Amino acid sequence: MKAISELNLPEDVRYTDDHEWAKKIGDVVRMGISDYAQDQLGDIVFVELPEVGSSFDKGEEFGTVESVKAVSELYMPIGGEVTAINDALADAPELVNSDPYDGGWMMEIKASDPAELEALKSKADYLDILKG
Amino acid sequence: MTTDIKTTPLNRWHRSQGANMADFGGYDMPLWYSSVKDEHLAVLNGAGVFDTSHMAAVTVAGSGAADLLQYCFTNDLDACMGPAKKPLSQGRCVYGAFLDENGHTIDDAIVFFVEADSYMVVVNAGMGGVIAEHLQRNLGRRDATVNDLSDRLGKMDIQGPVAAKILGGVLADPKAVFAGMPYFSFKGHVDPTSPLADAVRLDDGTPILLSRTGYTGEFGFEMFLAQDKIQRLWERLLENGSAYDIKPCGLAARDSLRAGAVLPLSHQDIGHWPFINHPWPFALPFTTDQTGFTKDFIGRAALEEQTDVSFTQAFAGKDLRKISAGEGSRVIDADGQTIGTVLTCATDMGIGRHDGDIFSVASPNKPEGFKARGLCCGFVKVNRKLSVGQHVDIADNRRKITVAIVDDVRPHRTARKPMADMI
Repeated sequence: MKAISELNLPEDVRYTDDHEWAKKIGDVVRMGISDYAQDQLGDIVFVELPEVGSSFDKGEEFGTVESVKAVSELYMPIGGEVTAINDALADAPELVNSDPYDGGWMMEIKASDPAELEALKSKADYLDILKG
Repeated sequence: MTTDIKTTPLNRWHRSQGANMADFGGYDMPLWYSSVKDEHLAVLNGAGVFDTSHMAAVTVAGSGAADLLQYCFTNDLDACMGPAKKPLSQGRCVYGAFLDENGHTIDDAIVFFVEADSYMVVVNAGMGGVIAEHLQRNLGRRDATVNDLSDRLGKMDIQGPVAAKILGGVLADPKAVFAGMPYFSFKGHVDPTSPLADAVRLDDGTPILLSRTGYTGEFGFEMFLAQDKIQRLWERLLENGSAYDIKPCGLAARDSLRAGAVLPLSHQDIGHWPFINHPWPFALPFTTDQTGFTKDFIGRAALEEQTDVSFTQAFAGKDLRKISAGEGSRVIDADGQTIGTVLTCATDMGIGRHDGDIFSVASPNKPEGFKARGLCCGFVKVNRKLSVGQHVDIADNRRKITVAIVDDVRPHRTARKPMADMI
């Protein structure tokens, strides 16, 4: 288990209380799970993602991430329509462990309300949650 | 707030390695170090070491010891060895369970026949006191002394096909130790003053009780020794095994390995229901025609006259996807009827299906280019007996998957391989 000081928590993404991250890239928002989340889950062996074109509200479950021990839900950091999913995870779900913010991204959405992204937590605020 | 969670002698080591720790049976235990998958695969391909000092040992000694165990333990110590059902002999051990009057499982255990009138009973974490009390309460007029050694004995396991090669490097006389050591046999003693202690010593003179058993389905050993000697043995095995890519393994790998090996987890796959109609009939004292029992024991009457009949059966999925077992899980038959619950649902990461058949990374006949993607497996408890090969759905509140009832899961396990092939 990583100590909080060892966690990789980039400044340029926003975080949720459920340990997802979201980041604006051009006119879409890319999302995944944080380094803390992947470290807690352990080896990720399967990621179940929705179809491109489906829409979800903020906080809605959009998929699952499966470790050797358990199946965990994934929740939308913000609402929107799915424009892309990371196909690489089908063959290499371990990318979520090794590279949670780049190779291990999960999907991209067109945000229904851009203000929702701004309302997510900064690194500093997210760290406060992790420190309890 | 203070917590009374217990620790094993290796606790500091686990924490210094950054292990992901959790409460298991009241002990602060490692779930995994860096990768459950790598730990699981290490035991199939090479070797892994497990801290099992959370498990408890209870000794039963005296002229009435055997009779007390015959009455409290499910297996028949007079008829449990091999197909010929020979009596348990000195240096051999046997799997079974302790039941209450309702035939429900208090805990499962391995009984070791140490020497005449002297047995060691190894049970699960936190169960030493419970089983010692159970034995004490049923002592009657028998002459036997029950001693709970919980937290006084160190225990660790080395499991995997190269376990003997690695262990041999730290034994004083490996050749003598490994000679004549079949599955479910043991040698040595933890008490340095016992004449039996000379049978197995580490090269620094430490006596250990070495047992050719384990909870992974793979070849290997369980080792009992003084608590203050555990860390040195642990570190030496890791050092000695580095050429074989040995890995320290946590409880998560232990759980996925045992699920693929169709071994039950106490208090999850066996528990507060009758200990019968399950994949472990060898733990009960069945007559050869399987119609009755060969001895009397606590729980017998309830098993013979069940009112609430259920069947525990192993299953394997189509791929690695699983559901959350336990409360809220369901087993659904072809007619859409809910017929039971899911006790264990885990992923064995060392196996996968190819054209429907299950292969392991260790299978000599695995297809060319075979990549084990993992396979969901575990146990269901259902209200009717399902046939092997039958498909049912298992579901939690999120997902439903189709699984097949099986009589075995991970092929080509090494636990029973002849010692000569492994040294």
